[in-house]
Amino acid sequence: MNERRELSRRKLLHIASIAAGVAETRGFGSVEKLFAQQSEVPANEKILPTFTGPSQNPYWNSIGPVVQYPQKSPLVLLTDRPVQLETPRHYFENAFTPNEAFYVRWHLDEIPNSVDLATWRLSIEGNVERLLKFSMGDLTSKFKPVSVAAVNQCSGNSRGKFQPRVPGGQWGHGAMGNAKWTGVPLRELLVAAKIKEDALFVQFQGLDKGKGPEGHGSHEFLKSLDLKNPVLDECIVAYAMNDEPLPMLNGFPVRLIVPGYFATYWMKSLSWIRVLEKPDENFWMKTGYRVPDTPRGNTTPEDVKAGNVKTVPISRMPVRSFIITPDGATKLVAQLPLTVRGIAFSGYGSVNKMEVSINESFSAVSGLTTKTWTPADLGDDHGPYSFRTWSHTWIPPKPGRYLLAARATDAKGNVQSDEGVWNPGGYLWNRIEYQEVVVGRAS
Amino acid sequence: MKRSTIWFIAILAGLAAAAGSLVYAQFDAGYYSQKNLGAIMQPAAPKDTDGATYAVTAYPLYPPELAPGPGREDVQSYCSTCHSTRYITMQPPLPPETWAAEVNKMVKVMGQPIPDDVQPVIIKYLQTHYALETRKP
Repeated sequence: MNERRELSRRKLLHIASIAAGVAETRGFGSVEKLFAQQSEVPANEKILPTFTGPSQNPYWNSIGPVVQYPQKSPLVLLTDRPVQLETPRHYFENAFTPNEAFYVRWHLDEIPNSVDLATWRLSIEGNVERLLKFSMGDLTSKFKPVSVAAVNQCSGNSRGKFQPRVPGGQWGHGAMGNAKWTGVPLRELLVAAKIKEDALFVQFQGLDKGKGPEGHGSHEFLKSLDLKNPVLDECIVAYAMNDEPLPMLNGFPVRLIVPGYFATYWMKSLSWIRVLEKPDENFWMKTGYRVPDTPRGNTTPEDVKAGNVKTVPISRMPVRSFIITPDGATKLVAQLPLTVRGIAFSGYGSVNKMEVSINESFSAVSGLTTKTWTPADLGDDHGPYSFRTWSHTWIPPKPGRYLLAARATDAKGNVQSDEGVWNPGGYLWNRIEYQEVVVGRAS
Repeated sequence: MKRSTIWFIAILAGLAAAAGSLVYAQFDAGYYSQKNLGAIMQPAAPKDTDGATYAVTAYPLYPPELAPGPGREDVQSYCSTCHSTRYITMQPPLPPETWAAEVNKMVKVMGQPIPDDVQPVIIKYLQTHYALETRKP
């Protein structure tokens, strides 16, 4: 830290000497005045703290170091074992997130470094008439491929915004991504195996393992869906992501796609599909990834402490939208038009309305006190479960501080709220997001 | 023996062998290393062209610096069986009772066998360095 400060001090001296030189040769006004203009370190060069809290993480992303992993461009590190990496903000300018930038979240530390497709099989077992095993070749050749554009978002995305803060992965907003997923409809595999009549749930397991004792959540990661859940008809066992093989860290060789649902169900390196005759009592269904059975999954620390919060397994993603640019790191110029851009999505159907609100001098923490919403332009519709880009041209009227806000409405009429949520797991955050920008004089 | 019977026996033998093989023998997993820290990965052409093995290099480890103080060694040994201690340093400052609850969860729910006399040492360490009043940059 001291070294970094020393560096920036030296940088300032360097800038000062250049400024002095310029002033001398071009006959500008006072050297001090010019120095004052140049010495302001841009906000994006500020040294980040090593942690955030007890208040909200004030940044768009989490604050970890940027690191390099196999098949990945530099991403923000949350944890190294199991691997959890967050996608930097600028990648969300587009509707599709590149594979190499797609965020990573594993639950257990023994994750695949290699898979031999000569022996790897996807097994369908349990309460079925026919136990089946499919090779990658079977999946690609025996079934007609289907594709869907779908957002994969971690249940705990934006957990760092919770107040009071809750323990868990301290994600910024970058634990999400959108891809075109291609593979085999899950239903076709289940039909091929013939589910028995008394079957109730279908459980998914990947190749990851943990060092904890058997029968505990620290040993294996298992997720289940109710066989009556209509989402099963939309699920895909995907072998391609954006028309490429999946990166190892995103679930090579195949991954379950559950459109509209949080990523906890999207089993990576899916290898076992198990039909159950009774509800799944394993940790990851019975204890983990549960949300209060209340509107927006909202509750209070007091109610949790009193033990009167009924919970249900997390399911669909509430409507969200983000401002991606401007990111507040650069001063904008008065009267110079710029395009405010972002993305929006919902687990309940297409985003069909996007609005922005641009206000002078309001606090991002307390939210907007007056709300004048202007419609924004929507980008291409890639289907109900995809990111949808939006844009809005803005001419900053005069110098000052502005607060930009974006709000999405989905096909079901759900609209983002200006109130946050709170629950002990740190799930379902979907409040309206803000971006503060500074506008300078044009001359 | 009829040809179909031979085929039948061969298939049965194959199935038995497949069932007997270890479920996880098909892949390498959990390979982490600190030696490629800070390096930009350079593409290297895979060596085998006829095989069906798809592999990546070791996943890099970024061990965090834990605050010095009594209990640090216990935290390092008991809390890194299943996960990196970045799970600790990543957290915001948490109330002392939350740290106690986290350690209890690891023992009772996750099954980590931390001896009874070590649990309070670990809880105390986390409360001393990673709680609301005590966390230092």
